[in-house]
Amino acid sequence: MAIDNRNPLPDLVGAARYEGGADDVLCLDDLHVSVHNGAATAVRGVSLRVRPGEIVGLVGESGSGKTLTCRAVLGVLPPGCAVERGTVSFGGVDVTSLSRRNWERLHGSHMGAVFQDPASYLNPVLTVGSQLTEVLRVKLGLGRRAAHRHALELFEAVGLHQPERVFHQIPPELSGGMLQRVMIAIAISCDPQLLVADEPTTALDVTIQAEVLELLRDLRDQRGLAVLFVSHDLAVITQLCDRIVVFYAGEIVESGPAGEITERPRHPYTQALLRVASVGDFRRRELEVIAGQPPRVGEDITGCRFAARCPVAIPECGAGPVRSVQVGDQHQVRCVHAAKTVVT
Amino acid sequence: MTGAAVDAADAPPLLAVESVDVTLGRGWRANQVLSDVDLDVWSGEIVGLVGETGSGKTTLARTVVGLVNPRRGRVVFEGQPISTLRRRARRAQRRRGDLQLVFQDPLRSLDPDMTVAEIVAEGLRVRGETNRGEIRRRVTGALDKVGLDATVLERTPGQISGGQRQRASIARALAVEPRLLICDEPVSALDASTRNYVLRLLDELRTSLGLAIVIISHDLSSLAGIADRIVVLYRGRIIEDGPVDRVFATPRHPYTALLMASAPSVRHDRPFSPHELRRTGWDPVPPTGPGACVFAARCPFAAEACAAQPPLTAVGERWSVACHRHDEWAALAQSRNRQKG
Repeated sequence: MAIDNRNPLPDLVGAARYEGGADDVLCLDDLHVSVHNGAATAVRGVSLRVRPGEIVGLVGESGSGKTLTCRAVLGVLPPGCAVERGTVSFGGVDVTSLSRRNWERLHGSHMGAVFQDPASYLNPVLTVGSQLTEVLRVKLGLGRRAAHRHALELFEAVGLHQPERVFHQIPPELSGGMLQRVMIAIAISCDPQLLVADEPTTALDVTIQAEVLELLRDLRDQRGLAVLFVSHDLAVITQLCDRIVVFYAGEIVESGPAGEITERPRHPYTQALLRVASVGDFRRRELEVIAGQPPRVGEDITGCRFAARCPVAIPECGAGPVRSVQVGDQHQVRCVHAAKTVVT
Repeated sequence: MTGAAVDAADAPPLLAVESVDVTLGRGWRANQVLSDVDLDVWSGEIVGLVGETGSGKTTLARTVVGLVNPRRGRVVFEGQPISTLRRRARRAQRRRGDLQLVFQDPLRSLDPDMTVAEIVAEGLRVRGETNRGEIRRRVTGALDKVGLDATVLERTPGQISGGQRQRASIARALAVEPRLLICDEPVSALDASTRNYVLRLLDELRTSLGLAIVIISHDLSSLAGIADRIVVLYRGRIIEDGPVDRVFATPRHPYTALLMASAPSVRHDRPFSPHELRRTGWDPVPPTGPGACVFAARCPFAAEACAAQPPLTAVGERWSVACHRHDEWAALAQSRNRQKG
């Protein structure tokens, strides 16, 4: 590979340093994101950290705030949305108030991103090779020849056969799985510390999905890439991630090592998610459903936000804000019941 | 629980697709999408039709309801060939609404300017129902069957949630009291809980209304809970067709096994992992050419025999597979793993 040493973070002019969490690639602290021009809060107090070489999975239903969290990390919140409170620290720099100029120095070079629909992020009339070499020439300052060579290496690294051929093809000529590989090649082209992947496999066939998940794992193993992976499918998350963060209605309800979450889930919502997830033995079974609807985005609820749908809710659940408690090694749960067992 | 289907095994199928070839496009652009497809569906049965993008699942559904004409073969519904009907007869057949297609992506297939009540009533109006009270009664009846209450009646598709939308499009199909329901990817865009809700609903409808249901999906795991039979399509050919429990226990086609191994799961106990069923650079070069097995190019077990497309052959009761090596590859896969390990 052309670049061996990780390029250090640039000196970001005027950016606030964030103390603590400097060893982490990414550290979110009490992040609040407002939507509808501040009328509602969709992400409420999210704190999480991603260490180098770690794959962290965010899982939750649609509208649970996982994608907004991801977008806040990338500094690309949709119009009308803003970080209300809290910090997003990337390699020790608070990026919530970064200038556009500083963002340009982070995007691509230090943070890569892939999304659900690769075709809409690529220019349909330019060859994918030219779209990758453009990044290499602008961000890494490579010459035409070096960029071409490096691009072929990258295409090979993401498992595209016949890289020379793919180089000269335009997006409409490639399948969804190949396009997602091209997107990943572009995202990792400058050897970033962090890859943010928002539902990158949702639109792909299962056989291709399995291949892309394996690719992400290989990239982590070979390059020490940290990945923040978002999916609504707990089964996909457990296949890939080292640590799982469960979102419900804008809050983290449980987080912990993947094995811990799937074997010993403590939050009733996580338990319900596991019951409805695909088991993979394909045996006929009663299809479980989580009763009720999640609260509307930004709805104000005193106490636990899951209480209305929770099978084990007690009056205490609605009494006041439920704090997150430590129930095991790196395993945190936001549930009244878990809090009780910890205290006594 | 293949109850109704097994009892009716001697009875003629409700739907019979007989050696159908479909070609889309003309001249040099012509593209054969379906080749020699045979499919029988009995009343009260749920058939899961699985395949990847471009395998022809949707084209098969469109052929069954008459939106696409087969170049060869025919579609028989209740003993009557419907793919060869002339215009007037076909229109009359369609208006009866015995076959209903629930389209993929309800947000795009439902008219955004119509209310749910209008959408559900449209099929009835097309059939010539004019009595407003009767229409109203049937619309609420159909919505009731899918578990939607009257509050959604006056909303448009954009104003209801994804799960509700999918249920509304099922209600639209049910309003005309079909005998066969074809659902194209009904759950692929839904959260796990909503997905299970919709699947459970289809399962209940099959029992309560005696409907035959074909569910199209690219994901085997979403069919595991409810389908009686699994039909796997690959590049326009049926490569495996059998009872769901038998197929899932011991898939006889390597592609079915690959699909199963690739399906995401919260557990990690599989007979094979996906990379064990993929071709690697060490595998012998597979036979290619126009007559070769459609899966040969991706198959790690392809041999000389695979230069000819294998026909669908019975390997058990109501279970058939199109693979020359259907009883050899599993053992081969195991020895292959030992070599690598």
